[in-house]
Amino acid sequence: MITLLKYEIYRRWKWLAIRYAALIILGFIFYNRAAVSPMQYDIIAASMGKFFLISLIAFAIIIVEGINMLKEDLFEQSGYLTFTIPRRGRAILFSKLTLLFLQLSLWTIICIQFGSMFFHKLPLEEISQITTQINFPFYPAILFVLTVFFNFVLMVHFSLTLTKTLLYNKKYSGIISIGIFFLLAYLIEKFYYGPFLHQIQRIYVEIGNVSNVGMLSAGYTSVIMNVVLSVIFFSATAYLLERKINI
Amino acid sequence: MEYILKTKQLSKYFYQKKALEKVDINLEKGKVYGILGPNGGGKSTFLKLAAGLLKPSEGEILIDNKNPGVYTKSIVSYLPESNYFYKWMRIVDSLSFFQDFYEDFDIEKARKSLNFMKLEEKERISSLSKGMLGRLKLTLALSRNAALFLLDEPLNGIDPVSREKIITSILAAFNKKSTIIICSHLIYYIEKLLDYIFFLSEGQIILEGEAEDLRNKKKMSIDQLYQEVFQS
Repeated sequence: MITLLKYEIYRRWKWLAIRYAALIILGFIFYNRAAVSPMQYDIIAASMGKFFLISLIAFAIIIVEGINMLKEDLFEQSGYLTFTIPRRGRAILFSKLTLLFLQLSLWTIICIQFGSMFFHKLPLEEISQITTQINFPFYPAILFVLTVFFNFVLMVHFSLTLTKTLLYNKKYSGIISIGIFFLLAYLIEKFYYGPFLHQIQRIYVEIGNVSNVGMLSAGYTSVIMNVVLSVIFFSATAYLLERKINI
Repeated sequence: MEYILKTKQLSKYFYQKKALEKVDINLEKGKVYGILGPNGGGKSTFLKLAAGLLKPSEGEILIDNKNPGVYTKSIVSYLPESNYFYKWMRIVDSLSFFQDFYEDFDIEKARKSLNFMKLEEKERISSLSKGMLGRLKLTLALSRNAALFLLDEPLNGIDPVSREKIITSILAAFNKKSTIIICSHLIYYIEKLLDYIFFLSEGQIILEGEAEDLRNKKKMSIDQLYQEVFQS
């Protein structure tokens, strides 16, 4: 697995380095603007906003790259190299997801670091006001975002792999993968999350704790459901990669 | 008799198209086999099935008595027709890649072969000509001490001088423990290598036999026989 991960990093290290260097440099540029303008909260807020926007773009790039990591091997000729090495389908998939996780972790660390630096430039009384107003379950929320992200990427991976298994030809694979993805999303919402969350919501309403219902999606319940779904998608994709797919 | 590859009613369909239909072959260890036929005849499909890249629609294929999987990939050396390298790779990276993933890869043999093929380790693969790329692919594939070599059109797009080098390399790589399957429609160059021949057309074997027997029986070279079989 480590060897596979090594080559996944080799394949992308230049872009990885450029991306994170750009994020850090831009972060310092925006922070510097905020730092040289104390008490000018409009400038600080604008700098924070710009950094937030850049971070979102970097996040989107990580998602797209996470999808492309498998897509390239499924639909390009490099797949002949990847899928003739004596490694299990799950090891190949796991190495790609590990790189994705590492990328995401680095992104999170950079964002939290700059976020806290910007935060300290805001007036203290406003910070304390914000923190008392928001009853925010930080760790479940982070876990929720992480698992949603992995679920999304794994669902796309599964859709691509299923398409390639059903359809050898590359011609309509894009549109069919998208179709499979949306069908899965609909089915999961209707038969997995929907009934379960509705049941939980009913219990919450019955016990009169309606204020917590809004936070439910960021709670541990959803995190566990996401993890279960991720395991299912991972196993199914690995199985198809090893046993069924035509490269 | 020991077989390295066995198929039983092996078929592969792509939608309605039959790429391979009910093929039964048994390949012995220590021989060089030629699968000959025109483009679209099913040669590459057969090799991809043996390499584990495609899955049979019907029937089965066994390599060393096992279904294609992790084990068979460790004993099969596959040379595809296309450029399958990652875009970022230099020649030296491809050597490291093979060394890392294949226990039977002989790095010293590969370096000698690169030298013989006049290839520089520092060169970017994306900048290689088609001939150089063909030589590199062959170097990597033949530098493994594999039980089964699958060579898909190893001479395609290769200039005559390089073809001779490739033939020499294949001969050098061959030993009595390994089996080589060569798919090609450039019969003239590979004829002297082959022990046994299958003529494949529209997914079916239409003629097979020991190369020497076919030459004696038909009183012509395999190249001439190929012309006769596929032009009729």
